[in-house]
Amino acid sequence: MILFAATDRCPSSLNVSPDPMSKVIVLGLGNDLLTDDAVGLRVAHEVRQRLVGDPRIEVKETAEMGLALLDLIVDRDSLIVVDSIQTGDQPPGHVHELEPEHFPEHAMRSPHALGVDKLCKLGRMRGLSAPTHVRLIAIEVQDPFTLGTEMTPEVQDAIDDAADLVVQRALEFAQLPAEEHAHGEAR
Amino acid sequence: MNPEAQNVWNDARQRAGAAYAEARRRVTIDPITRLEGHGRIEVFLDDAGEVERAYLQIPELRGFEVFSIGRPAEDMPQITSRICGVCPTAHHMAATKALDALYRVEPPPAARMIRELIYHAFMLEDHALHVYLLGGPDFIVGPAAPAAERNVAGVIGKVGVEVAKRVIAMRRRLRELIAYFGGKAIHPVFGLPGGVSKPLAPADLPGIRTLAADALAFAQFTDQVFHDLVLKNPEYVKLILSDPYTHRTAYMGLVDSANRVAFYDGMIRVVAANGREYAKFAASQYRDFVAEHVEPWSYVKFCYLKPLGWHGFTDRDDGGIYAVAPMARLNAADGMATPLAQRAYDEYFATLGGKPVHHTLANHWARVVEMLFAAERMVELAGAPGLTDPKVRTLPTATPTHGIGVVEAPRGTLFHDYETDPRGLITRANLIVATQNNAARIALSVEKAAKGLIHQGRVSEGLLNQVEMAFRAYDPCFGCATHALPGHLPLIVDIYGSGRRLLHHLVQE
Repeated sequence: MILFAATDRCPSSLNVSPDPMSKVIVLGLGNDLLTDDAVGLRVAHEVRQRLVGDPRIEVKETAEMGLALLDLIVDRDSLIVVDSIQTGDQPPGHVHELEPEHFPEHAMRSPHALGVDKLCKLGRMRGLSAPTHVRLIAIEVQDPFTLGTEMTPEVQDAIDDAADLVVQRALEFAQLPAEEHAHGEAR
Repeated sequence: MNPEAQNVWNDARQRAGAAYAEARRRVTIDPITRLEGHGRIEVFLDDAGEVERAYLQIPELRGFEVFSIGRPAEDMPQITSRICGVCPTAHHMAATKALDALYRVEPPPAARMIRELIYHAFMLEDHALHVYLLGGPDFIVGPAAPAAERNVAGVIGKVGVEVAKRVIAMRRRLRELIAYFGGKAIHPVFGLPGGVSKPLAPADLPGIRTLAADALAFAQFTDQVFHDLVLKNPEYVKLILSDPYTHRTAYMGLVDSANRVAFYDGMIRVVAANGREYAKFAASQYRDFVAEHVEPWSYVKFCYLKPLGWHGFTDRDDGGIYAVAPMARLNAADGMATPLAQRAYDEYFATLGGKPVHHTLANHWARVVEMLFAAERMVELAGAPGLTDPKVRTLPTATPTHGIGVVEAPRGTLFHDYETDPRGLITRANLIVATQNNAARIALSVEKAAKGLIHQGRVSEGLLNQVEMAFRAYDPCFGCATHALPGHLPLIVDIYGSGRRLLHHLVQE
């Protein structure tokens, strides 16, 4: 396992006025030093390999969470969050797909994604253009507590399936017509 | 690596995590919170139901120290930047400076300037996040506003969507600058012992200058917003000065050769509660000045000034309790190194009653003063000759033994201290993060709120709100804790009666 490799190279030139945002952003969340907690990052890494060259979709791994994610999601049409989750209702390695209305009962156990949907709603409420299509793809994990760089086997084995699902959703979202961003929407 | 110690730590961590997860199931809460990470407070009552002691829990860091043993020292900037999803750049920089010291190597001038440029950009974007989004609900929206408004939407409603867009755009551009040098990895990768990994291409210098100029305009604009929305309201100034948010302690911060606030490098200066300089020392001497006090009921190690000793959780002018973070930095310095920041610094002290300022909520304003400094320093660095010099690395040749690095993280003084064997493998690592430096003073704030609002075992309305407001001003960073736990956690207060029986379990929002 390559622990400390940069997932992208340094930009070859400085671009302090970033290009227009891609429509879809895939955010892989987690900490790659906490055993299974790395899974969101690993899945995102895999998704990037498969979607290389598609300008409609940006894939990003980040250890940030909550409000710090705001500037990553504003101006996007669609957001797919990939994170670890512990519901205890499914075996480790199970891939959950949650729509925003089902976030509240699960989000508490999906540590990094917490509040992302609320953030989108709050942003839209005040006229920011936040994603209207939001999904949480969460992989049931066994051990997100222990310091370690190897995931447990069941979770490791789930990466491919989770990446398949994320790629499929990302491509679907990318084909949706451009959103009329709802400024000043009431809710 | 010492697997036995790691196993012990991991076992304890897992038990704590499992017990915590179990406890969480019993409460129904809206998990949204503005705090980054979780704050866990334990209040112990005596037989009469009066507050004996209140503690803040910050359980995580030791695990990373054990984890690092046996690993190459050069991995430390990468390992430690994973401690915290909130301030990876601060850990990366403190670790890089510890490696300079470990290998006794001085970075070339361009490398030092690039590090400083990155670091000031980071301070600016992190402070901007706090001023507008994390702390905004308390002052921009206001403590008296309805709970439903005291969130990011309330802030945007108050400042307007155009301002919100400007904040987001500026943070994006500042992060692009960090990515230019550090790669678009999850965590920055630019710090090497003796320099940085990449020089600045001359063709990219104009872009850096434009960004620095825009950053300064943004900081000035933020100062204006803070004046318009906060300082023009006498009620807010009264709140900042009010007793529940006031403690007399010492203050610590890095200063330059003229005793002005410094973020990247300098001497550590401590002023006592009466405002006089108490100590000034180099990072390498920190163990002579900083000690950690352990309490039987808490994992937290409370830092205090070693020569002054530990006198318990009390405000006293000769006590060892000290604070770090923006307010402490301004107190610990004689001024700012740039003109606009200096003007803001003078106004800050004139308005708040002179030096030192003991009012915790003043941290919000101090953060704005520091944003001006960060941006002005970016402009200076962007215009400095030699920034594009291709020589950005001095290769280390010495045999490593011991290295200590220090920076001012957004949340306060951050120490990294490593010892290695002759091959450069870590044999001991000690980190003191900002929140540990502040832990004793935060405990004072928590205890003051608890003692004021809990009597005869009964909890008055407003306890959580007061604790939360004080808490947020320190901006304690529990990012290091959150990754291990099932949630982006809110403030939790457990109140125990005599016999350590849990009486109340309170959760903010």
